[in-house]
Amino acid sequence: MNTSLLLFLMWGVTYPARLLGLSLGRVQLSEFWLNFLKFVPVSVFAALVVPDVLGPEWARRLPAALVAALLMLRLGNLALSLLGGVGAYWLARGLGL
Amino acid sequence: MLPLWLGTVPFAVAYAVTARAAGLSVGQVCVMSLTTFAGASQFAAAGLLGGHASGLGIVLTTFLLNVRHVLYGLSLSRQLALSPLQRLTAAQFLTDEAYGVAVVHGPQGPGGLSFAFLLGTELSLYVSWNVATLLGALAGSVVPDPEKLGVGVIFPLAFIGLLVPQLTDRLALLVAAVAGLGGWLLSQVLPGGLVILLAGAGGALLGAALLTRRERGAGR
Repeated sequence: MNTSLLLFLMWGVTYPARLLGLSLGRVQLSEFWLNFLKFVPVSVFAALVVPDVLGPEWARRLPAALVAALLMLRLGNLALSLLGGVGAYWLARGLGL
Repeated sequence: MLPLWLGTVPFAVAYAVTARAAGLSVGQVCVMSLTTFAGASQFAAAGLLGGHASGLGIVLTTFLLNVRHVLYGLSLSRQLALSPLQRLTAAQFLTDEAYGVAVVHGPQGPGGLSFAFLLGTELSLYVSWNVATLLGALAGSVVPDPEKLGVGVIFPLAFIGLLVPQLTDRLALLVAAVAGLGGWLLSQVLPGGLVILLAGAGGALLGAALLTRRERGAGR
């Protein structure tokens, strides 16, 4: 798929979702599907993170991931969490992992 | 709004650097921020492009990630009457953060939540997101070989930053564990885009089934 088409289709599946919700004020979704939508972010984020961290570079990425998660949990700051994680990655790499 | 920018600006910069490393031009990196304007799915697309996932897989992942916006729209449209033109405008700029601010701080103003407040919140995030994207894309061009610097690690770290605040109870932890480990197992045999879709939808279905059963059990 060429990149321009990809960019267009990404917008093409995003905008309608936003418009649909704003236009459906009176419609009642079932409890199950409201719960499904609530769990989509946590589920997708985990599915993105775990295979990536446990891939070929796992010996460097696993410590980086643990440091970033701990910093996020303690400080709640995305920038610090990213910096700490990248620092741990560099440290692991420097140690020859 | 400042705390929100502190969250979105590093994320936009990290997205832009990752997308540049995955082979997108500065223009393409910026167009994605101007059109799709959804941090998580833009980042996922950049990561998947770097991993040579199929275009269809990326589009489907984008859809799955952004279908939650239906929820925000539903919630907002119950609190705020919008004309068709206002809906078409507000829809382009709607994000998790804008929804959060509009719902929490909008009703505190005189006259309650208004279209002006919603659009103002949305646009302030849109401008900061796109300026940071441009700066990140330009920075990504200066770095000679981003892969060698290990920018690939920014991708999982950024999602950890989004994931951790969502792990608020045991059910969320269980969903994350099942989707994460399920995704890891599937990734041994299937291409990237499809893995996210299957593991992501599977985890959310499990969470919905368990939560719905619990709520019914509680006699609601």
